[in-house]
Amino acid sequence: MVERRAPNLRGLVIHGLILFACLVCVFPLLRIFSVSLRPGDRIISTDLALIPAGASFAAYGKVLKQTNFLLWLWNSLVITVTTSIIGVSLASTAAYAFSRFRFPGSKLGLALLLGTQMIPAGMLILPLFLMIMRLHLTNTYLGMVIAYSVSSLPFSIWILKGYYDTIPRSLEEAALVDGTDHFGAFLRIVLPLSMPALSIAFLFNFTQAWNEYLVARVILTNSLMYTWPLGLFGLQGQYLTQWGMFSASALLVTIPVLGVFLYSSKWLISGLTLGGVKG
Amino acid sequence: MASVTLHGIGKSFGDTEVLSQVDLEVADREFLVFVGPSGCGKSTLLRIIAGLEEASGGDVLIGGQRVNDRSPRDREIAMVFQDYALYPHMTVEENMSFGLRLRGLPQGEIRARVSQAAGILQIMPLLKRTPRQLSGGQRQRVAIGRAIVRKPKVFLFDEPLSNLDAKLREEMRVEIAKLHQKLRTTVIYVTHDQIEAMTLANRIAILNKGRLQQVGAPEEVFGQPANTFVAGFIGSPTMNFVDGAIEANGTGAIFRAKTLCLNIPGDAAAHGASVILGIRPDHVWVSALEEGQAAQGIVADVEVVELLGSKKNLHLLIGDTRLLASVDASIPVRAGDSVSVRLKTGAIRLFDKASGNRL
Ligand SMILES: Nc1ncnc2c1ncn2[C@@H]1O[C@H](COP(=O)(O)OP(=O)(O)O)[C@@H](O)[C@H]1O
Ligand SMILES: [Mg+2]
Repeated sequence: MVERRAPNLRGLVIHGLILFACLVCVFPLLRIFSVSLRPGDRIISTDLALIPAGASFAAYGKVLKQTNFLLWLWNSLVITVTTSIIGVSLASTAAYAFSRFRFPGSKLGLALLLGTQMIPAGMLILPLFLMIMRLHLTNTYLGMVIAYSVSSLPFSIWILKGYYDTIPRSLEEAALVDGTDHFGAFLRIVLPLSMPALSIAFLFNFTQAWNEYLVARVILTNSLMYTWPLGLFGLQGQYLTQWGMFSASALLVTIPVLGVFLYSSKWLISGLTLGGVKG
Repeated sequence: MASVTLHGIGKSFGDTEVLSQVDLEVADREFLVFVGPSGCGKSTLLRIIAGLEEASGGDVLIGGQRVNDRSPRDREIAMVFQDYALYPHMTVEENMSFGLRLRGLPQGEIRARVSQAAGILQIMPLLKRTPRQLSGGQRQRVAIGRAIVRKPKVFLFDEPLSNLDAKLREEMRVEIAKLHQKLRTTVIYVTHDQIEAMTLANRIAILNKGRLQQVGAPEEVFGQPANTFVAGFIGSPTMNFVDGAIEANGTGAIFRAKTLCLNIPGDAAAHGASVILGIRPDHVWVSALEEGQAAQGIVADVEVVELLGSKKNLHLLIGDTRLLASVDASIPVRAGDSVSVRLKTGAIRLFDKASGNRL
């Protein structure tokens, strides 16, 4: 139950702080937006107005027409969505095994998964590149998907295993008696109940893959295969950095992420709690 | 409809043996209750029958067919779990129809069965709700409803009432008894509550430490307990036990304890044997000592009196032997009184001290 109380000093202070934090977060975004609207000759101005004098969407047009931006976006989208789907599928089944079955090495396996997270990401780039290269998967979607989905796997497995552990086994047993097999119980009972955790894992996979730069840098050398971060950084400094176009594309790439977040928030707060058991 | 047969069922988890050599025949349409203290292996046994747990040894037969290798869904059983195990993401209706949908029954048939079960259990108005929106008692009904729509050969209940408060528990106990009369299906019911066992069962199977102690009708296990464990577990308040020995007394026998000596029925065949005498508190008769009159029978001091409404429990002390008597509340006895005590001779049960088995 939410209790509504008259605002008190504490509440005001807390809300003030939250508001301030929001402003701090949003301000750079607003600046980028503002820069993206500036006409070409005014980029380096110190003008602080949100809507600059002579504002136009010209930079957006230039990004879309004069660069491969849409192609990079497409590459990113294909890689990210595939990565997220494969990553979550693998993690959800692996985590189920870790949560429900005792098998030789289950404890060690979990510990090792956590261990991989202790290794700095930078150290993994070279071995990862060598593996992808030997598999002849450089400059391919598949290579990127493999590289990305395995690197998010440990985190996803831990999140999901922790969540599965809270789901009473009796639910699956009831399903077994009712007429499913083990996989059916997983599919029809455990997965639907795990939507909050699955969406967290999905978001994690998605944002990781969407924003990733270093791994893409070493695996993708053909500019037609570039993901947007590579393409975008290519706009920097050949002759001079196109700050307007840079800002415009930076804003454009947040749109898919925003969409995914808004969509999955429904699952995150869905409150599909386990009220079906106990009294 | 089907009988259930257990042949030499054993179960170990690693090195711990939780069930050993369980042999049992549950007749078609019978209501059999497994009762025993917590941790004695009741749930494990039920789960072995359901196929949720694999026995380490022995066979399970349902309707004469060996089902050891069948998965739970192919055993034509339905189970009601202690925590109800309703699917939280489905409505009551979806919960109840889940098993039928999996089996691909036609829509009309599913709807008919669900509404019939909902009618019997009076949960019609709840069909569109989710389990979260139900009280404990309502969840219990839904869980039972989910079992009966399946029309299984055998119902398995694992302590279905243990999460309900006392009043609701009594209500549901009666409902389950009525349901069995209506459906006439074989029921195997697990509980740690001997009152539930006594009131519901056609036959009771008493388990202790993974071993079957006795199987019999409620009157039988109450009146003719096979050993001290059964005698102590069944019946409330608990049976009195007094250690002693049998001695010959002419043609008859007497029971002699440290501070107590009684004539007992039977001959002196068991002469000299160390025994335990058992007597239910109902069969300990107490009367006030008449002023100035020599005491009849045994004299006891009343330590504590517990009033339970129409009955009261008297905690008696005879020398250093303790005895509990359950008497009519109208008998005017107070703590500190001395009273005259007699035991109903026919109700005395004697057990071998070493094995605990009834003589
Ligand atoms: N999966 C398991 N692993 C190890 N021990 C178990 C397992 N399930 C039950 N046990 C043990 O078996 C014994 C019997 O358990 P259970 O059948 O649940 O008892 P009851 O239902 O009579 O209270 C208990 O000592 C319990 O700790
Ligand atoms: Mg149990």
